[in-house]
Amino acid sequence: MRRGPGPPPPGDHPVGELPVSSGDEPEEMFSLSMDVVRSEAVVSVQGALDEPALVELFSLLDTVIASGYSSMVLDLVGVDSLATTGPAAIASAAQRLAGQDRRLSIRSPSRAIEERLVADGLGHLIVDEEFELMPRRPGEPSAVIAKVVDNTGARPASRFVERAGAIPTDTDLVDSTLRLVVELARTTVAGADGVSVSLRRHGQLATVAASDQTILDMDAEQYAAGEGPCVDASIKGRRFHARSLDDEDRWPTFTPKARALGIQAILSSPLVAHSHSVGALNIYSLQPWAFGDDDRDLAMRFATEVSAILTDAGVDVSDDRRSERFQASLRSREVIAQAQGVIMEREGITENEAYTVLRVHSQRTGVSLRAWAEEVTGSTRPGHPLLGPRRDDGHRG
Amino acid sequence: MTTATVAEEEPDHFDRFRRDAGLSRGELWLRYFELGGMSSAFQMEAFLYGALEPTPHDHDVIAHALNERFVELGGNHPVPYRSDAAPD
Repeated sequence: MRRGPGPPPPGDHPVGELPVSSGDEPEEMFSLSMDVVRSEAVVSVQGALDEPALVELFSLLDTVIASGYSSMVLDLVGVDSLATTGPAAIASAAQRLAGQDRRLSIRSPSRAIEERLVADGLGHLIVDEEFELMPRRPGEPSAVIAKVVDNTGARPASRFVERAGAIPTDTDLVDSTLRLVVELARTTVAGADGVSVSLRRHGQLATVAASDQTILDMDAEQYAAGEGPCVDASIKGRRFHARSLDDEDRWPTFTPKARALGIQAILSSPLVAHSHSVGALNIYSLQPWAFGDDDRDLAMRFATEVSAILTDAGVDVSDDRRSERFQASLRSREVIAQAQGVIMEREGITENEAYTVLRVHSQRTGVSLRAWAEEVTGSTRPGHPLLGPRRDDGHRG
Repeated sequence: MTTATVAEEEPDHFDRFRRDAGLSRGELWLRYFELGGMSSAFQMEAFLYGALEPTPHDHDVIAHALNERFVELGGNHPVPYRSDAAPD
């Protein structure tokens, strides 16, 4: 058995690696992982890069190329063998990128693979070992996503979902990354025939990434009906799993429409940013009972990745939540202004000086400025109607 | 981070702290507003990019909004203030 150095045993996965979802030990394995840094995508490959593995790799590269990253690094450090068609496939990807003024680089091939690449005229793509990733700055969109695939080539034959031109393309990195997650989820979760990401924007759910038009329609039907697993997961912030739509009675308006399009099972996992539910990752299948425990776990891992991307990108609270926050902010300002007044009167100082007194106390004690302002006003005007009950500083979500 | 002065030579000063604190610009503005800040979200963007210089008072309100976030994250008060650290 050839086996790459990559995948650790199930249950001991480093961050960014997903478990093998099949129960049996595959004969041969390889793993793909991807790291997005600014506009650069780094795809790392480990194990045996044989023909079925190449198909998986280039399905991912196609998605990356379509997603608009300005450059791509193919890290071959963990590759111990390369199929005979490998160099031609790499040359083809490099050519496609070069045609769009973008660049494919190859990093860390083994000596033997480097010799083959050079012999095939691809030596110019190999970058120095010292090549360093640009460090990611906090707050920038990023994703570290991996998948592990068995090399037996066992992919479901009945995939009706293919990437379609209907998906709007743009260069926004977050949306590109979300589309990539969608594609990875589709190819990784067993039984997934289509995947989408829904986000609440301006108080309404909208699909921001989907694997094809049918899936876009599926999501739209749910938004229109105001019901469905996607809507429930987005609003209630927990997973909704329709195991078999034939037996489903929770969404009477939506379910018949989904069945008419051939959908039999749906798994919607909540997306959370800054502790608030902001949308859902939806996985659709043409087969009933398509999703088992492993798939639910895998879906949750993808949802966690997407949540991290959204948090990084500053997609935080919904409009409704923002409105609540704004009201709370107004109350906070009022309390602080009153506390300033109390201190100005007591100390005979200016407004800004009074603010500094409050701020310095907050700084020294670790008590929030608002909580201290409540303390100050409460101590002089107990039961003041504008202040309401005294509370801890738990007003932030 | 040992001095109590703002590094004017580092125009992305606040924005760097903002990113480190994991706050979107909108969220930082809301927190600033909550603490009594009077500048608009648009002006806040200009402060973050160094295109506008906040008043010393505004500077301290922004710094405190960031510092309260760092406290929530288990940190101290890494963002320096303009006004002198205070009366004992």
